[in-house]
Amino acid sequence: MNDGLKRTGRGVRAIASICIICGIASAQTGTPGIVNAANAFLSTLDQKQRTGVVFAFDDEAQRARWSNLPTTMVRRAGVSMGALSGAQRSAAMTLVSSVLSQRGFEKVQQIMDADQLLKTNEKSSRMFGKDLYYLSILGTPSEKDLWMVQFGGHHLALNITIAGERGILTPSLTGAQPALYTVNGKIIRPLGEENDKAYALLNALDESKRKQAILNYRVADLVLGPGQDGKTIQPEGLKASAMNASQRTMLLDLISEWSGIVHESAAAARMAEIKKGIEDTWFAWSGPTAVTPGRNGTAYYRIQGPKLVIEYAPQPLGGDPSLHIHTIYRDPTNDYGRKIVAR
Amino acid sequence: MKPALLAAAVILSTGAPGYAHRLDEYLQATTISLEKDLVKGQIRLTPGVAVFPKILAAIDVDANRIISAQEERAYAEAVLGDLSVAIDGNPLHPQLVSVKFPKLNEMREGLGEIQLEFQADLPHHGPNRRLTFENRHQSQIAAYLVNCLVPRDPDLRIVSQYRNYPQSFYQLDYMQTSVGSGAPLVAGFGAFVLLGAAAVLLFARFALSRRQRVPA
Repeated sequence: MNDGLKRTGRGVRAIASICIICGIASAQTGTPGIVNAANAFLSTLDQKQRTGVVFAFDDEAQRARWSNLPTTMVRRAGVSMGALSGAQRSAAMTLVSSVLSQRGFEKVQQIMDADQLLKTNEKSSRMFGKDLYYLSILGTPSEKDLWMVQFGGHHLALNITIAGERGILTPSLTGAQPALYTVNGKIIRPLGEENDKAYALLNALDESKRKQAILNYRVADLVLGPGQDGKTIQPEGLKASAMNASQRTMLLDLISEWSGIVHESAAAARMAEIKKGIEDTWFAWSGPTAVTPGRNGTAYYRIQGPKLVIEYAPQPLGGDPSLHIHTIYRDPTNDYGRKIVAR
Repeated sequence: MKPALLAAAVILSTGAPGYAHRLDEYLQATTISLEKDLVKGQIRLTPGVAVFPKILAAIDVDANRIISAQEERAYAEAVLGDLSVAIDGNPLHPQLVSVKFPKLNEMREGLGEIQLEFQADLPHHGPNRRLTFENRHQSQIAAYLVNCLVPRDPDLRIVSQYRNYPQSFYQLDYMQTSVGSGAPLVAGFGAFVLLGAAAVLLFARFALSRRQRVPA
């Protein structure tokens, strides 16, 4: 059996194990379940692996070691999925699933699946694939003290600070390439809702409001992407206080595509915070206002509130921008849980 | 995705190549930050793979495939020379504060980010101010971004922003609330002080001359 087939076999077994373990983990929600999943994962590692996975909570270099780029271009630390045994990998993915909602975990899997397909498409390029996602833990898993789970690779950076019952997902990056693919005839769009809900909101605005939302200039990329921690730019576009109640509900629903990635109880607290500032939240759009149904569009948009920045940026990197999306999700007042750390 | 589906997940609806890096554009992202007497800027320049040879030729002028500190500095100055920054219609002369170059191979892969920081002093003025910024560097291949950070100083408030379509031109109107009517006020106050001082001197002289005339 060649290496590739062995890996595929291992992968299928690992995914099967994940599904079983995820079922068990889902019964135990919130921080105790996350702590158990983290300790269970760490217990599968030998001393050398453990040393590579665990960092000090105040390790700023590791905290900032994330990117949209493939791991061969921007090195990550922690342990790669490809370096783990089947059981270890199952435990790792159980930990990842425990910090996320069901939909959040599904989105993460679809992003990773897209990268795996990219690898297939690129004739087993060493830049892509599900083996190249890294997991690390900053601090000690605890139900009370602060600690952090980092998981990511190409088009994915989840930075989740756990603070008691709270889970802070910012800053995090999601992306997809291809942003549209089929598996056994089923169309998969990892960031489809982020696109469709945004177009629906734009089209729900009347002419004058839409004019305010649409920027008259091109935005070629994320403004507050990786490496841009701690910055707050001047907001632009249409302020949600000028939207009607239905449009504000649509905006909140769109935001939930990011705020709802983290596990349900943390997401509920985060959404309450976002709702509180919704009147001061801005929606800005740059690019075409028409889209082919069932596909992502090529327009950039930004949502910016007192405690929120979301950017959605199709990438014109030599291909169809609608098939290559980068997004960023931040809370400039509390990225990496800094507000809680400061207390 | 379910295991069975994943195992069969080999059908791809698109054959698009997996470019992970910038290709035919030169991304130039500028972030402006305002203080009362100072404007600071940071420019992050990322040449795409396809345009890298052109950018390299502009940096590595002796073509020895090594970028020296002098070449870095000279290129940074050239970028600065392609900028126009003005306040209230008066040109500013930004000075380089720092220059950071990535490794050559990172740039070659479309990943390396050249980082320049500059700043310029702002002359005193009234409360309503207009900053303009124009970037003409490598305009044929540029993808410009320009944004202003929300000022940390509560006395500074951004009023409006305008950009042209490619973001090569940016205009920022802001208010500086603590200066009152600014320069005219300062000038008026100065004149008032001078007049007061002259009056006191005149009065003192008058009093002295009267005293000298009074017989002992």
